[in-house]
Amino acid sequence: MREHEKVNILMVDDQPGKLVTYEAILNELGENLIKARSGKEALDHLLRTDIAIVLMDVSMPELDGFELADMIRQHPRFQKIAIIFISAVHLTDLDRLNAYQRGAVDYISVPVVPELLRAKVRVFADLHRKTHQLETLNRDLRSLSARLLAMQDEERRRIARDLHDSIGPLIAALSMNNGLLAQQTKKLGPEVADVLQQNNQLVEQLSKETRTISHLLHPPLLDEIGLLPAIKMFAEGFAERSSVKVSVELSPVIGRLPPNVEISVFRIVQECLTNVYRHSGSKTAYIKIAPSQEKLLTVQVCDEGKGMPRTNGVPASPGSNHGVGLSGMRERLRELGGTLEIQSSENGTTVIAAVPVTKPMVKNV
Amino acid sequence: MRTRFLIVDDSELVRKSLRTVLQANPDWEICGEAADGETAVALFRELHPNIVILDFQMRGINGIETARRMSEVAPAVPIVLFTQHASPDLERHAREAGIRSVVSKTNAFPMVGMIEALLGPADSEPAATGSAGSGKGHAE
Repeated sequence: MREHEKVNILMVDDQPGKLVTYEAILNELGENLIKARSGKEALDHLLRTDIAIVLMDVSMPELDGFELADMIRQHPRFQKIAIIFISAVHLTDLDRLNAYQRGAVDYISVPVVPELLRAKVRVFADLHRKTHQLETLNRDLRSLSARLLAMQDEERRRIARDLHDSIGPLIAALSMNNGLLAQQTKKLGPEVADVLQQNNQLVEQLSKETRTISHLLHPPLLDEIGLLPAIKMFAEGFAERSSVKVSVELSPVIGRLPPNVEISVFRIVQECLTNVYRHSGSKTAYIKIAPSQEKLLTVQVCDEGKGMPRTNGVPASPGSNHGVGLSGMRERLRELGGTLEIQSSENGTTVIAAVPVTKPMVKNV
Repeated sequence: MRTRFLIVDDSELVRKSLRTVLQANPDWEICGEAADGETAVALFRELHPNIVILDFQMRGINGIETARRMSEVAPAVPIVLFTQHASPDLERHAREAGIRSVVSKTNAFPMVGMIEALLGPADSEPAATGSAGSGKGHAE
């Protein structure tokens, strides 16, 4: 919906004269005015059109205003409609309360002051337009963020591949050449043999560094043999680099999963372990990946650290204090239709991600 | 009879280094080279090598899948996975695919000894090459 796009206003009254009056009052707003002579006719319009505001009489034959409001509120698509009651009778506080409990945003008594009604309706029309615009922007942002995450994954995969293809063979060749030279050590003087030995160590160090960078960018085992070996290998490397003791429990029934699920679960575990290392102060971490239902994979990462920062007694909203980490996880999970739960106390944090998978998990590797 | 190697790696540089290392042994020869798994399986069927040195991460099918296909043709022929990604998990998958040994590319020196062990004392005898290179090993 664009900034000045018209919204639909539904006016419901069993008396045609009143509908004409409302129309005259609201005409100058420049919105689309729709008239309905009964509750039933109003429902027909609601089902066919995107209505922003319902302006309705309380007393109508058959379906009265309160009953219609109940029906509107029960429908998920109609939750955001602003209902304004107009009534010549039913003017006690109890009637008004009744209306507000049914989700009305206003209760106007007759005689209607035209300027007042117009002003009120204008506020809700603008609110509807802005809400709609925000929803559209939000959707755009989500889709942009999902695309960015996917592009980031792809870029990391490409750089890891480039490292593998360019530096990997050079290291392998160096290592083999050194091996050949090492066979000739008797012909070399002790000093040269010593330099050769140092070179060997340098090659090994170079290889290790390259491997770490490449594995952090994109784990090679993920594409080739699947999620679980990749997680195990990453956890081992992480434990070695961070001195955090990591235990891993992976259900053997999980076979290959769709590539987008595998990379997302891997990144979630990677992010969790990074948080354990950077923020928790925990010396241990525990990773469990297992199906909790036939088509639902549960990924759990726990630590025994100091817990997440708390605001008013509850863990701070994900993303607010932890950079893009937790909100990135949420975005990944949202894309997969999954959920993220965080339990945090001074005794540690547990992150639980639930990821739906389309096929039942059966090991096929 | 010399032991015939098939070497499979997508890097020309790695294949060249492998040639240098392997040909240092006068009893060993390179009978074929491939830069990807599919070509390697075709050469394996055609050339009947006695041993295969196989890269893991390549374009197309990876080393494990390549080994699996080769093992279906001639399970007796030893296959050595030569990789930058050696790990216990990869080793387990490799063994399930019929790979006898996993050697790290970054520490290639033990490879020669490992190959000698794989070929066994019968290396100099036709028996080892016979079991792999004969019609029995390479049922087609």
